Amino acid sequence: MAVSAGFKADLLGSIPSLRAFAVSLTQNADKADDLVQETLVKAWDKHESFQMGTNLKAWLFTILRNEFYSQMRKRGREVQDSDGLMTARLAVHPAQQGQLDLKDFRSALERLPEDQREAIILIGASGFSYEEAAEICGCAVGTIKSRVSRARAKLQEILNISGEDEYGPDAISAQVMASPNN
Amino acid sequence: MEWKPGVAGEIMTEKTKHGSADDDSGRRLSADPLGANSEIGRKLKQYYDDLVSDEVPDRFAQLLSKLEQAEPAAKKG
Repeated sequence: MAVSAGFKADLLGSIPSLRAFAVSLTQNADKADDLVQETLVKAWDKHESFQMGTNLKAWLFTILRNEFYSQMRKRGREVQDSDGLMTARLAVHPAQQGQLDLKDFRSALERLPEDQREAIILIGASGFSYEEAAEICGCAVGTIKSRVSRARAKLQEILNISGEDEYGPDAISAQVMASPNN
Repeated sequence: MEWKPGVAGEIMTEKTKHGSADDDSGRRLSADPLGANSEIGRKLKQYYDDLVSDEVPDRFAQLLSKLEQAEPAAKKG
C-alpha cells in the first residue's frame, strides 16, 4: 500500500517535535538530526503498522527512542542507569531572585541520567500523558512517575532550588494561580 | 520497587494524567509539579519550545520526497 500524502504531511509536521526530543536525548544537534532522519526512514517503511486515528506523535517518538537506544548499544555505550549513576555535583550558580538562566538549566538537564531526562521531557515538555510516556518508554506508568519525580528532585538539587513553594516570585504567582480545589 | 499496583493496575483514563489521588506519587503529581507554577516546569517548556521552534533543515523535506519517489505504487494512491 502506498504511503498517503496525508501521512507524509503528518511526518513533515512532526519533525520539529522529533528534533526537539532527539536533542533532548542526544544532547547533540548533529546526532539528533541523524536520529530524526533514521526515524523518518523507519516510519516510512513501517507506515502500514501505524493505525490511523492513533497518536502519530507517540508512535514516532517510540521509533526515535528505540533507534536512539539501539544505536547506543551498538556503539558499546552502556545505557545509563539512574540508580548506578553518581550525579556530578554543582558548578552551576545558585539561582538568584528567580532568575534561572536557560543555559544553566540546559547543563543541569544534561546531568540527568537518560531515563530520567526522557521522562521529564515527555511529561513536562512534550505534552504526553503518563500513560503515553509509559508506552513510549515501554515501562509501567509508576516507573515514569518515579523517574519524573527523581528528575525533578535532581534538577532542583543541581540548580539549588530548595522547596519551590518558598522560591522567590514563584511563591506569589503560585498563590495567585493555585486553584483551591485542584 | 517503583511499580505501584494501585496505579499501574488501574484502567488508565484521561483523568490519571494528573495523577490519581490515592497514591503517594499521584498526590504529589496532582499538584502539577511541572506546571506553570513551577520554575522547573517553566524552564523545561522554555528549553523545549526553543528546540521545537528551531528552523527545520531542508534535508528532511528532501528525504521525504525521495522516499515518496521511491514508492512503486505512489501514483496509484
